[in-house]
Amino acid sequence: MKTRFQEENNDYVMYFEGRLDTAVSPVVEKELQPLHECEGHDIILDCTKLEYISSSGLRLFLGVLKNAKAKGSKVFIKGINDDIRNVFAMTGFINLFLFK
Amino acid sequence: MIPLLNQHCEDLLEQFRQKRGLLQRMEQVVADYLHTILSQQGIPIVGIEHRIKEEESLARKLELKGAKYQTSNDITDLLGIRIITFYTNDVDKVAAIVKHEFRIDWDNSVDKRKMHQLNSFGYNSLHYICRLPKTIIDDPAAPELNTIRFELQMRTALQHVWSSIEHDIGYKGVVHLPSEYKRQFSRLAGMLELIDDEFSRLRTKMAEYSRQVQILVASGQLDEVPLNLKTFYSYLELRPFDRLNGRIAAVNQAEIFPTSLVPFLPVLEDMGFETLGDIERFIAEDSDDAYQLAVAGLAVTDLDIIAENIGLQSLCFIHVLKNGGGLPALIRILDILNGKRESNQAIAQNIIKQASLLACFTKGSQ
Repeated sequence: MKTRFQEENNDYVMYFEGRLDTAVSPVVEKELQPLHECEGHDIILDCTKLEYISSSGLRLFLGVLKNAKAKGSKVFIKGINDDIRNVFAMTGFINLFLFK
Repeated sequence: MIPLLNQHCEDLLEQFRQKRGLLQRMEQVVADYLHTILSQQGIPIVGIEHRIKEEESLARKLELKGAKYQTSNDITDLLGIRIITFYTNDVDKVAAIVKHEFRIDWDNSVDKRKMHQLNSFGYNSLHYICRLPKTIIDDPAAPELNTIRFELQMRTALQHVWSSIEHDIGYKGVVHLPSEYKRQFSRLAGMLELIDDEFSRLRTKMAEYSRQVQILVASGQLDEVPLNLKTFYSYLELRPFDRLNGRIAAVNQAEIFPTSLVPFLPVLEDMGFETLGDIERFIAEDSDDAYQLAVAGLAVTDLDIIAENIGLQSLCFIHVLKNGGGLPALIRILDILNGKRESNQAIAQNIIKQASLLACFTKGSQ
């Protein structure tokens, strides 16, 4: 699992590549730190190369959302595949995020 | 500019200068205390204004009627506080609190609202002359804090607007106003009094409506409660989807993540539900199938976190499918919830695929 953080057009973009499962979640959680101080920036979670997300991954995304909302920022999920979209739909979280 | 005053008035002015520090301290104590107590009592206010009288303003007052004051302690508006409320009946509530909290000098307090003839309108405000009791401040080094009087005015926002404009125009005018204009002012005061009363009446009616809805919801007479934002909020307090959510969560021993269900109100309205009774029947009739639909997707995964909207979402999906709405009806729900997106079609198709395996849809085809 790889992540990469980049600021693009005033948005905070986090790229995910690989499988976001329970095993890698603690490491990814630390890698999401740059998204915490997001005042004045929207966040894009770019999942174009994300192959799989587990409950632990969903919890990380929800943590990003909760923190961003408190700071007045929006969170967009970009480029998810059909399987991951179905995970969001069947858990009811599809209504919580904005998708690009 | 400060006018030339006689010695008696100059003495009064000097006394005022000497006690300005005390007045400033009182000003802060009273303002802070009022903010706290009104907030604790839950009375919404537009604001609290306060001021120490300007020296020039006091000098002009003394120039006119300085002889009636023996000492500066006889002047009761050196410190003035004004509480501005939204509603007329809140003026009375604030007055009751003020009476309870401060020592009132009744001989000098006046209810301007009661001073008008039945057929006249004008300045409406309640003025109390008060002293700070020792329960609020007790400083042996400054006992005057409990003896100096101050003026506390209470009025509504509309009364405040009227009197501010009247003060502005009335005091600026160098010429005597013809009675025609005075009459226009009076008419406006009457109109604002009417509007104030209407706002209060509206608030009372809305509070009564809320109470009735809560009683109907609590007593289960839900067919009499129309479905709208206010009633839906009251209904959600009964946590009507908890049982279904709990059943769904139990399949994977999942955590239920708190989410708002209010975004589903337009979906429910779009589905033709008109009363909370309709929602109650919808839950009763479709819960088992909604459970099956949710579980069909989740049971084959190890996902152990679900959103609190999962039950209601599944109910909506199953309801439109059972009523023959098919793919377009599912897309319509998703469009309302998520906004129109191409991906809604793929999600809807997946739901149809999962639903096609449920008993309620396979029975007919077998």
